[in-house]
Parts: sequence; structure tokens; C-alpha cells
Amino acid sequence: MSSRGQQQPSTAAHPVRVQSMTKEYPNGKIAVEEVSFELSPGTFLVLLGPSGSGKTTMLRCLAGIERMSAGRIDIGGRAVAAPGTHLPPEQRELAMVFQDYALWPHLCARDNVAFALKRRGVRREEARWRAEALLGRLGIGALCDRFPSELSGGEQQRVGLARALIGDTGLLLCDEPLSNLDAALREQMRIEISSLVREAGTTTIYITHDQAEAFALADRIGVLERGHLVQLAEPETIYAAPATPFVARFTGLAGELAVRIVGRTPTGAVEVQLSAGTSPTPLRATPGAGLEQHAGDALLLVRPAAVSLVAPDGTGCQLFARVTDVAFRGVGYEHAVVLADGTPLNGIFSPRRARWGENVGVALQPSGCLAFPAGAVASATAVGR
Amino acid sequence: MATLQQHLPLPAALKPPEGGGPPNNGETPPGRRGLARLRQDPQLVARGGLAAFWALLAALIVLPCACFLVLAVSPRLFGQGPQWFTLSYLRQVFTGTTAVSLVDSLWVSAAAAGIGLLVGVPIAWLSNRTLLPGRRFVAGAMWLVLLLPSWLPASGWERLVQPDGVMYRIGLNFPFVTSTIMGPFGVVLLLGLRCVPFSYLAITAALRGLGQEYEDAARTHGASRITSLRLLVPILAPAITSAIAIGFAESVSDFGVAATLAYRANFPLATYQLFADVNGFPPSFPGAAAIGWLLVGSVAVPLALQARALRGRAYRVLSGRSRAAVRRRLSRGGLIASLTVVIGYFAVALGVPGFGALSSSVLSDYGASLRPTLVNYRAVFNNSGLSGPLERSLIYGLIAATVTVALGFLCANLLSRRASASGTLLDFLLLAAVALPGVVFGAGYIFAYNLPALSHVGLDLYQTTTLLVVAYVASSMPTNARVLVGAVSQVDASLRNAARAHGASATRAWARGVLPAISRPVLMAWLLTFSGILLELPLSQLLYAPGSPPASVAIEDNLGNYHFGVGTAQAVVAVAIAFTVVGLALMLFRLVTPAGWRHVGEGVNE
Repeated sequence: MSSRGQQQPSTAAHPVRVQSMTKEYPNGKIAVEEVSFELSPGTFLVLLGPSGSGKTTMLRCLAGIERMSAGRIDIGGRAVAAPGTHLPPEQRELAMVFQDYALWPHLCARDNVAFALKRRGVRREEARWRAEALLGRLGIGALCDRFPSELSGGEQQRVGLARALIGDTGLLLCDEPLSNLDAALREQMRIEISSLVREAGTTTIYITHDQAEAFALADRIGVLERGHLVQLAEPETIYAAPATPFVARFTGLAGELAVRIVGRTPTGAVEVQLSAGTSPTPLRATPGAGLEQHAGDALLLVRPAAVSLVAPDGTGCQLFARVTDVAFRGVGYEHAVVLADGTPLNGIFSPRRARWGENVGVALQPSGCLAFPAGAVASATAVGR
Repeated sequence: MATLQQHLPLPAALKPPEGGGPPNNGETPPGRRGLARLRQDPQLVARGGLAAFWALLAALIVLPCACFLVLAVSPRLFGQGPQWFTLSYLRQVFTGTTAVSLVDSLWVSAAAAGIGLLVGVPIAWLSNRTLLPGRRFVAGAMWLVLLLPSWLPASGWERLVQPDGVMYRIGLNFPFVTSTIMGPFGVVLLLGLRCVPFSYLAITAALRGLGQEYEDAARTHGASRITSLRLLVPILAPAITSAIAIGFAESVSDFGVAATLAYRANFPLATYQLFADVNGFPPSFPGAAAIGWLLVGSVAVPLALQARALRGRAYRVLSGRSRAAVRRRLSRGGLIASLTVVIGYFAVALGVPGFGALSSSVLSDYGASLRPTLVNYRAVFNNSGLSGPLERSLIYGLIAATVTVALGFLCANLLSRRASASGTLLDFLLLAAVALPGVVFGAGYIFAYNLPALSHVGLDLYQTTTLLVVAYVASSMPTNARVLVGAVSQVDASLRNAARAHGASATRAWARGVLPAISRPVLMAWLLTFSGILLELPLSQLLYAPGSPPASVAIEDNLGNYHFGVGTAQAVVAVAIAFTVVGLALMLFRLVTPAGWRHVGEGVNE
């Protein structure tokens, strides 16, 4: 798998292979179970999951801060963790960006960054000069002498990023680096991380619970649920063909409809009818995992982008709804509606503003409607698609 | 009603007349006018209360100490010499035995602070960052070391190693050990052991605020374990500075070891020299005041430097998302070494003196008999001359602790309010009073409350129990206020406002909204004050009413007069009383208070 960025992978970028990673705590809680994946050099992997899904534990095991209970990790073709082997973090040739920045409060911005060059045996003066140059590139060259307490959150995270990049290590780990920043700064920092990391060509593993951040950054996304890697794929695949309803839900839905399968088309789509109420025409949907031979009741998971508002008596109207909320989003309006049977659909974009309480028609794009067998909520285990 | 009048338009007939008199009453009698005005002007009441509070602080803290200390340069001001202004007493401090005692105090305190750091830092690290067995007991044992007055372990050690002590009686006659402990080494050791809890508490607080991420960041960027530890030392520097400064200040101002082991070892320290000047015949107040200045300077300078260091370098490393540090499992060798350090410390700090006092209390005073006897305890319980001081100290402790906490709470409230000139002044005054050695405080009280001017106005407090209790309150209150200000500051006004907004009266709002949040800190402050007063020595020694010695004075008198058995038995009973009161208070708090009260503040530390 090659990087989607414009830059070629750095010659120093490491391939990463994780086999059956399992982490069980002394209290018996299993944080990560049997997770396996491989990354080619220069790949930007985002591990996406809710709180408690095991993503931070995975990252800490990769860093060597935590010791795995079982499994094997190879970084740059070298086993850094395996039964009987556990290399400490400093011997794994990696760098890390921390959620809380973890800048040493007694060192100024320059010295925090220069610290990471000690492992390279760089002379003190040169290290400081290189740190200043990198901080300058990140737009905070004038703040080199400031201590962390004298920097804003965004500036602190830029120092953290510079510290992680300056050592030119083969693997960069990012532990929710944007979660402490406000929305505007988050977007700005996301762009900076993306461009700098791709320019460096470093293999990157980045964890977040924000699906928008994941889609914007990743070459590949791994979705974690309760310690299991339930899907690992390109962002487009994750969005178009989620492996489980959990993945679909976690990566953004307008709503869920209880439906009944009434037929199949030659192109492979399924035709469904609402379980409660009727629609003017049958709905078409993309079959999800487990629906190949399934008939009867199903769950229709609808992506926001697949929903559009139409006139209730116009062509293309498939469902009737009433507008319950309208939010101005700059380039248009985001609507929430409730269908005739009471099912809500949210996040429906339209360039035209509908009125509160207005009766509208709803049209659904089959590619954004994903049908899963009814009751399919259990997590899949390690699916590497 | 005043509130209603301020906010509601009243009918003309009900409006109060100009000047605040009662409605429909025409002219108010002149005598009642002031009272009525007070009732209707809460700000006036508050101002009056504040003025009374400052007058009380002046009488309790400022005037006694100022009157005494000014004697060093102006003895004639209070009829203690012919000069209006002189530096001769300050110069005398730097000559002869006083100079020697001062130099000894300084180097002994520096050495003690060093010992405190050397032992306290590893114990703090072991109990906070490793899976050391029994680590949960370390904090409790440290508080025990801290709460025991320094003269008590010193007396225990003395009884063990003195020429006719317990070791000698059981056949372990080692003159070298006796001369080592009963000399500068013993003084440094005992003061050093007392400095360990200060280091432990300062470093523990810093370590708890220090998340794992700083170490993780160092390791993931190529630092070895040793390098990453080296990186953490500067982050802990403010705590280390605090530990050294507090240890030094506590040792310089200590009177317990100076008046017992050091005095009997013929190794006079400055605090004892001051006591001797005040207690001698004739007393030399200007000379004592000159020593007092140097003691205050010796304590204030390191504390001021520490405060300055903290202002500049107190790193805010605690955040809501800080990852709890990982406790390391110790290797077999590491475990043995660690347990040796921790157990060894508590054995020397508590075990040895405890054994010395206990064993001495069950041996008869004369002869070489080793047969245990309860004769000393029987004497303590049956002889009112021996049990009286214990009862007295118990009562003094209960009264003084209660008054102290009430006043301390008042001070903490004023300190926690938004910045004002009076708040800043109070803050400075309380900090200065914390730094004032107890013996200087006591000397100030002796001098100020013995002034003829007070007798002229009918205030004859000198050599009364009242003055002793007032001194206990005044000396404990600054520390008490500092302990409480943290808790009081954390109580947001919204707690009380929310209760008021939902219909509670001011009293009910305070009881329901504020009291639960501060009940535990208030109880702990009360217990700390009570324990401190029960066996307090310097003030007791200087101010006790003739014929009514408190426990510490009676115990020291007995030990000084070779009544070792009853003296140590009294000490053991006094410590048992302290434990009983603390245990009862904690049990009552658990039984009486609603579960929610106890929940507040729990689970913060671990």
C-alpha cells in the first residue's frame, strides 16, 4: 500500500507489521484482542474508535510504553515486541505527538524540540539551530525562547509536532493531538500535520474518535470496537462499504430505517419497503455484509449524503417527511426531518432553506443506503479489507 | 425587611423616616438611633466586624511580637535599658556562646534539611511510583512522625542511650553510642528525621501532579530511563526547594530537641539560648529579642526564597487529562533495598524512641532491675499531681483547637475572597506568623502581657492559664488558616447561591451548600491543631501558670529531675490520649455525618 500523498515515502520510513496484538490488564480487562495489520512505508493510518475501544492502548503498545500480553510487532523489519522480547520506547526508532502535548515545562520551545535530536548524536548548537528552523517553518520561530506555559494550546501542539518530526524517525505516533484544540485551530493544525507528515514521508499511526478528522487525514482507516479491529480499509471503502453497522454508525449516518427486503436487482442492489408505513416507490439499497442470502427484515442505514429534499408531489419523492430543524451552514442548510412513521433523519444538506414544520419529500441515493440483516449489531472480528 | 425596603417601592405610610428610624414613630430616641442604623446597614456591621477582627489579630499576634522584637534596638521604649536606639544587643549576638549557638543552629539545620531530602525523596518515589508492599501505610506513618512533638522522640532516644538508660540496664553499655547520640550527631539525626515528612509530602504532592506523559515523551524521543528521570528532576525542583526550605526553617525554629537532647548534651542551640535569656534571672529581654531577630531572619529568608522560587518556577503540570503514572514492579534486590530504607527510617524515627519511652515507662527508676512494672502508670493515674497536667492539656487542647479553627476559618474566608488590601495584608501577616519560631512568640507574650500599662487598665493576664490558651490559639491560627484556605477557596459561591435561589435561608444555604464541602478539612484542621497543642512545649514552658503545668512541662520536669519512669509513663499516656481523641473524632464524623459529606474530597489522591 502506498501513500496517497504527493510525496514519495521517506527512505527512512518504516513498514509496520502487527500480529495478534492482545493486551489484558491485571484486573482481567482485555483492552485489545487479536489485532493484526500491516502498513507499507509512508502510510498514514488513522485508528478510529470511540472511548474505550482500545486505540490508545494499541498506540502505547506500539510505542513500547505498555507491554503487550501476546502478539508481535515489527517496526522496520525488526521485532520490537514478541514473546520474550520487549524493546523499550527509546530503541524503537519512533516519535510521538501527545494529546496533552507533554512538553517539558522547564525547557523552552527550542530545547523541547532539540531534545529529540540527542538520539542522533547531533551537537547541541546544531540541534538548537535545526529546532529553530523547524519551529520557524511551523510559524512559531519567534517563540523559540518561550516556555510551554507561555504558549497557547495551538503553539504548544506545534512544538510537540516539531519535536516528533525533527528526529526523522521511521514511525510517527499521534495520540489524539487535536482533541484539546478549538474547532478553528483544529482544522488549521490538521492541515499542517497532514502536509508536514506527507512531506517527511514518515509512516504514521494516528488515533482519533473524530470521523471527519480520520477521513481528512488517512490513507487507511482502522475502525476499532471494544478492542477489535473491525475494519481496515481506505476511507472511501469505509464510507461506501462499512463492514458492520457499528462502522457505518461511527462514520456518520442520517438515520436508520427498519425495512423489509422485497427483491433484488440484476446489478446486485436490494429493493426494500419500509416495515411501518409505505413509500411511493420501493427503495433501493447496497447490501451490506451478511445480506447476500438474507431475506425478510433488514436495517437500512442511510448516509447523510444519500438524502436529498424534494417536493412532496415531485418526481423522485420516495418518503414523506416534516422538517423539524434547519441550521445554516454557510454554503447551504442542514435539515433534520421526521418521517411519517416517526423515524428521524438528520444532517440533510440542501442549498434551499426549508421552513420549520414544512412537509417535504425525501429522495434516497441507493449507493448511500446500506442494508444489513436486522439485528446485525455484533462486532466483527479482525476484518482486513 | 431591610432587603425588601431596598428593592420594593413602599407606600408612603410605611416608608421609614430619613435617618433609618422605625416607621410611623416620629423621632427615635438618641440612644437607639445607632443600633437601628446598624441593623439597617449591613455594610456598617461588616466594617465594624472587620475592625474588631483586625484589633483581635493585633492583640494576639502583632503587638506581642512587635513589642518584644523592638527591644533589640530600643530597650528604653519599654523600660528595659537606657538607650532609645542601640545596635549593641544585635552585635552581642555575634559574640561568645550566643554566636556559637547560632552557628550551630544554622549548620545543624542545613544538615537536617539535607538528611530530610536524602531520605524523604526516595521514600516519596517508592511509595508513589512503585508497587512497594505496605506503601499505603507510609503516608499515615509520616503524619505520625510529623505530629509527634520533636521533644518526645528526643526524650525516647535519651532514655535509651543515657548512662543509666534502658540500654545500660539491659547490659548494652556502649559509651560510644551514648556520646554519639548525646551530641551534635544525635541532634542532627533527630532534626533530620523530622525533616523527612516535609520532603516526603512536598515530593509526593509534586509526583501526584506529574503525569506519566513527561516520562513517556522522553522515552519515545530516545531518552533512556536514567535520562528521562534526569529530565524530571527540574520539574520537581520547586518541590525539592520547598522541602529544603521548610526543613531548614523547621529545624532552626525547633525548640523540642534544643530543650531536651541538645541541652543535656551540652550543645546549646539558638532557640534554647533565647529561652535561657528570657527565663534567666534577671531576664534579658533585649538580648533575647536580638536572638529572636536572627531566628526570624533565619526562618524567613529561606521561606521567602522558596516562595520566590515557586512563583517563578511552579510548573502547572496537573491537567484533567494527565495520565496516572505507572507503578513499577521492583526487582528482588530493589525490593529488599527499598524495604530496608523505608522500614529503617520508621524504625529510627518512631520505633527506637517509642521503644525507649515504652520500656523506660515500665521500669522502676532506681537500681538495675529489669523486671517490668506498672508502678509508674499506677502513679500517673492515682496521683493527681501527675494526672492533672494531662487533664489540663486535654482541656486546653479541646478549647484552643475549637477557638483556633473558628478564627482560622474566618481568616481563610477573608483570604479566599477577591484580592484586596486587607486580604494581602492578612496574607502577609499570617505567613510571617507561620515563620515565627514558637519560642519568639512565647517571649513576646511574656513581655507584652507583663507590661505595667496593661495592669493599669486591669488586664492582668501574665502567669494565667488564660494567657497560655490565648497564646496556643494565636500561634496555631496562622497555620490553621493556611490549611483551611485551600478548602474554603474551592467552595464556589455558586454552591451557596444555588441553595438561596432554590428557597433556602442564608443559614440553611450555608449549612446545606457549604458546610458539607468543608466539613472534612475543618475536622482535619481541628485534629491537627488539637494534636499540636496537647504536647506543645515552647509556649507551655514559657507561659504556664505557676502550679498548673501542662503535660509537656510536667513530663520534661520529671525527666529533668530523674523521674524517668513516671515522666515516660506520662508521655505514653499523653500520646494515647491524642490517639483516642483523633480516633473518636474520626469515628464520630463517620457515624454522625451524612454519607454525602464524607464523599466530598474522597478519591482525589489515589
